[in-house]
Amino acid sequence: MEDGTGPDLRATLERRRALAQWVAREIMPHEPRIRAWFVKRRIAHDVVDELVQDAYCRVVMLETVDHIECAHAYFFSICRNLLARRLKRQQIAPFDAISEIESYRDTGTPTPEEQVATRMASERVRTLLAGLPERCRRIVELRKIEGWSQREIADHLGITEKAVEKQVWVGVRAIRSGWDALDREPEAAGDSRRVV
Amino acid sequence: MASDRTPLSDRDAAAEWVARMDSCNWTGADEFALQEWLAADPRRQGLLLQTQAAWLLPDAVREPEPVEAPAPANDTRGKWMRRGVLGGMVAASAAAFITVRTGFSRDAEFVTRVGEIRRVPLDDGSIMTINSGSELKVSLSERAREIQLLQGEAWFDVAKDAQRPFIVASGPVRARAVGTAFSVRKREEGVEVLVTEGVVETWSDQDASRRLTIVAGERAMIKERTLVHYREGDNTPVDRALAWRNGMIDLNGTTLREAADEFNRYNQRQIVIADPGLAGEQFDGLFKLDDPMGFAQTLKVALPVAINTSDPSAIRIERASEADTQK
Repeated sequence: MEDGTGPDLRATLERRRALAQWVAREIMPHEPRIRAWFVKRRIAHDVVDELVQDAYCRVVMLETVDHIECAHAYFFSICRNLLARRLKRQQIAPFDAISEIESYRDTGTPTPEEQVATRMASERVRTLLAGLPERCRRIVELRKIEGWSQREIADHLGITEKAVEKQVWVGVRAIRSGWDALDREPEAAGDSRRVV
Repeated sequence: MASDRTPLSDRDAAAEWVARMDSCNWTGADEFALQEWLAADPRRQGLLLQTQAAWLLPDAVREPEPVEAPAPANDTRGKWMRRGVLGGMVAASAAAFITVRTGFSRDAEFVTRVGEIRRVPLDDGSIMTINSGSELKVSLSERAREIQLLQGEAWFDVAKDAQRPFIVASGPVRARAVGTAFSVRKREEGVEVLVTEGVVETWSDQDASRRLTIVAGERAMIKERTLVHYREGDNTPVDRALAWRNGMIDLNGTTLREAADEFNRYNQRQIVIADPGLAGEQFDGLFKLDDPMGFAQTLKVALPVAINTSDPSAIRIERASEADTQK
């Protein structure tokens, strides 16, 4: 193999990728809603960021995710538990706040918001990709939409693979931070210029 | 406070690992270094997962089928079904694109669904941005670059290549460029050509001797036998008409009927103007093209109208009754 990636290494990479794919498919589209739930209960954005990240740490520790039926509900409950523990430790949160967070139960019936989560996420992603710098966007689109490898892109554009990787890096960063930042903006209506 | 524990550099580093893993050059040394990095802070495991998932998000949320089943009645239904057969727009067009690239068959077909806007880099370095509900055929050969617009609208950023003219055909209408940027839209009453950069020559096959030269900032409407040239004073109308490339609809003195038509191009949920007396009202504003509801709500502020959403496939704009105004 010219790329020197051995079978073990490949398996490790593949496992890591499969988990991330599962997260991207099952959890991330619901993240905005989960974050909003906390923000509505006056939890600071920074704290929500930490909760979400800590919850992802828990997910990494799972040996398998096959047994999880409703991933976003599961993830949501990890976040709530982490917050409840934290509030108790700090001993400054009013008791009823903790108990509401602890006792909250998902009803199990998908809300309309849950049902369209993927669709909304796909629109958000489209907006994010459209906002990338031109060169970066071109490369990210070839990689993501047309499914070319970084090597193929490098050959096609006549640049080094390192240069492509660099642009992918910029793209990864932009999607990641854009995804988080979107939740902090007021909802859609803010963009409409008022009718005269 | 989160920023203290997760400094920016950690986020950047996570993105760097993800980009490297995405390449074809992941080595044992990389894996070792990554393990070391992860071990230094337990939070990094979560950060890496989150970052990698963000990178995979565009693939994960690409919809293989429409979430909303009800398609609007009438003739769009047939197209919808036919497009369904093509099997996932993106997958189909990506496959088509690869054939262009590798070889013998150099024809490719691209179809966008209602509400879908796609940017497609072509083999010659040109980029086309395809608007909602459009259908195109691309054929690149040694001598020419030919695009057929069967339906809808697309904007072309043409790579310079004097040896191979770039020709967009829609019915009998042709628009020819060497290296420039322009859009072609098939309308009921004819074909509209808008030029954002450089020069485009356009004509109808019915009478190829009469040709129009359109320069940046201008537009023309071409029918079988008539050519209408609009020379706008400034560039804004052209920019405005191309706001869709950024996911927006830009209205400027547009009538409610035209505005509704614009939104209906992009959305399954159609705006219906129930009271014809309202259709001529004019508007200014910049709106998200996938948010007809937002537009309707804004209308309510400006006009004595009520929004009726009882039908999930439509947003009916009605004249407000006494009861509504009191509410």
